[in-house]
Amino acid sequence: MSEIWVLVDKAQDVVRNVTYEGLAAALKLKEKNGATVCAIYVGDNAGAIEADLGKYGAEKFYKVENPALSDFNPSLYATALSEVIKKHNPDIVIGGNTLKNQDYLPRVASRTSAGLSLDSIDVDINSSSALEIKKYKYSGKSIATIAFHDVKPMIATVRLNAFKPIEGSGSPEVIAESVELPADENYKVVETKIIPKERPELTEADKIVSGGRGMANGENFQIVYDLADSIGAGAGASRAAVDSGWVPYEMQVGQTGKVVSPNLYVAVGISGSVQHYAGMGSSKVIVAINKDPDAPIFQKCDYGICGDLFDILPALTDEIKKLG
Amino acid sequence: MKILVIVRQTPDTEAKIQANSDGNGIKTDDIKWILNPFDEYAVEEAVQIKEKTGAEVVILTVGADRSVDALRQALAMGGDSGVHIKDESFADMDPYALGKVIGSKIKALGDIDLIFAGKKWIDEESSQVPIQVAEEIGIPQATLASKVEVDDASKTVKVTSVIEGGEEVRELKFPALITVEQGINEPRYASLPGIMKAKKKPCEEVGPDGINGDEIGISGEALGAAGSRISVNSIEIPTISRSLKVLDGRAEAVQASADLAKLLREEAKII
Ligand SMILES: Cc1cc2nc3c(=O)[nH]c(=O)nc-3n(C[C@H](O)[C@H](O)[C@H](O)COP(=O)(O)OP(=O)(O)OC[C@H]3O[C@@H](n4cnc5c(N)ncnc54)[C@H](O)[C@@H]3O)c2cc1C
Ligand SMILES: Nc1ncnc2c1ncn2[C@@H]1O[C@H](COP(=O)(O)O)[C@@H](O)[C@H]1O
Repeated sequence: MSEIWVLVDKAQDVVRNVTYEGLAAALKLKEKNGATVCAIYVGDNAGAIEADLGKYGAEKFYKVENPALSDFNPSLYATALSEVIKKHNPDIVIGGNTLKNQDYLPRVASRTSAGLSLDSIDVDINSSSALEIKKYKYSGKSIATIAFHDVKPMIATVRLNAFKPIEGSGSPEVIAESVELPADENYKVVETKIIPKERPELTEADKIVSGGRGMANGENFQIVYDLADSIGAGAGASRAAVDSGWVPYEMQVGQTGKVVSPNLYVAVGISGSVQHYAGMGSSKVIVAINKDPDAPIFQKCDYGICGDLFDILPALTDEIKKLG
Repeated sequence: MKILVIVRQTPDTEAKIQANSDGNGIKTDDIKWILNPFDEYAVEEAVQIKEKTGAEVVILTVGADRSVDALRQALAMGGDSGVHIKDESFADMDPYALGKVIGSKIKALGDIDLIFAGKKWIDEESSQVPIQVAEEIGIPQATLASKVEVDDASKTVKVTSVIEGGEEVRELKFPALITVEQGINEPRYASLPGIMKAKKKPCEEVGPDGINGDEIGISGEALGAAGSRISVNSIEIPTISRSLKVLDGRAEAVQASADLAKLLREEAKII
């Protein structure tokens, strides 16, 4: 029976939501082709996660554990995954569009002669029984339908937040696989610095508040953070704010920054350039605060207030707090 | 030391995108083409290393005739010579096929110590060609570099990379491939003399014959659509349909804010 594999993504000891989103994508495909939905973990230690995976649709769980995978080395990860793919020949492999997956799946594609498409917003099986995905192309200005040729496996990553996890019940059959990994003399991790974040990571955030040139300086971003914290949102920025040195580059949303798709995106003092929209246009609800009634963002939003952000933002934070 | 930068031409980010008559690509008549903005950082990084160490910098691109403009721009920024892989049979290659072709050509060129690439092509946003190239050649890669320190004596490079939630420092042995993050440097503008000089810099043109040879080991089946694993079926230009409920908060900021909070709670059910 053919299989669809979903890559497990873990942060410390918890399975990240993006894994369940991937399982949801796989369940959608299963409706068309009846394949078995399997989770696959590649890393140094899976821990006791099979119950969680079963709950979100995994019928089988492949575990590939090896101490050599404790540091992330794209080449070793690719070897591990490619070996088990060659052994079990899944039809389709789905992963979240995380930086780690982006960093090693192209090697897996090359090694297993597979097609790979990154950052899909939808998945389907077409009339030729091949995987077909939708993704943004030309900086968010178009949506392309991309068909896989009939060569297996077919590998795709899904955009974070694009699929809603489907909760059910089930407990997967666990299959442990061992792989031999040669020492890699050519690549060494010297230091890993995880910088603790005060707010949700933009690519995963359910809500985002971003400030632009209208903020006028770095200190003023405090009112963006206040609104963000009142609704548990991440904080972003336009390139104009980043280029002015007011906030770090990792906050930049847009074509050359992060691509985000939260349920709520609040753009404050941002005009709504094509390049900014390219990074947040797939947000579910867009709210704009701008003093210029002709700002392009007002043609691309669901809600907005035309007014001075220095009056509106504190008032809005207050009003939201009042709602409780 | 020898450095190679792979670059690609792309439609200007301001360009209006319209579907072509087949519906699977875009109308290219009125498009202004530019060097992929991310590749400017890659070229700049290579040229800065050249200025410090006297390295040689080769620029390579795969693309239609017009791609030569992107190549020349990179040469004007300081590249020494170019390789232009062009031919109809190279059109419409997916990243899998591109990785094989570029990787094979680089192997044939030989003695390359470092390869730089952009973090993604803004057009497709696939960010996978460079890694497929590294795999094809069999060398390590570090992506999203925010800092690159080359040690020519020990033939190693130390790269600080952006990772989820922080950064990681990696040490790679030559030859290695690096994709660079925006902001790693400030790409220079090509000067007028630079542009004039670039026109005279040597540029190898490679057609299908040039790449067919045993020397490179790429056969016809590895090229174009035949060698690809995915293809674009159709392109739609989404129309923006949003509700555009804009309140006037110029006189009554508090009232407008209260109204908006209420809409977000009751109508959008989002907070
Ligand atoms: C290749 C390329 C890539 C790019 N990539 C990105 C990217 O990734 N992300 C990105 O954001 N941009 C990107 N840009 C830049 C983009 O073109 C715009 O320049 C940028 O988005 C503008 O940022 P902004 O909206 O904050 O500033 P502006 O366009 O200057 O808009 C500021 C807005 O704030 C409003 N305002 C000012 N003061 C107030 C106030 N007191 N109250 C309320 N409103 C106020 C103004 O009315 C105005 O609409 C890119 C450009 C290029 C060429
Ligand atoms: N046709 C090509 N020729 C040369 N380099 C390319 C080509 N396509 C992609 N690249 C390089 O790979 C990077 C990432 O592209 P992509 O994987 O398509 O997002 C680009 O920024 C270029 O450096």
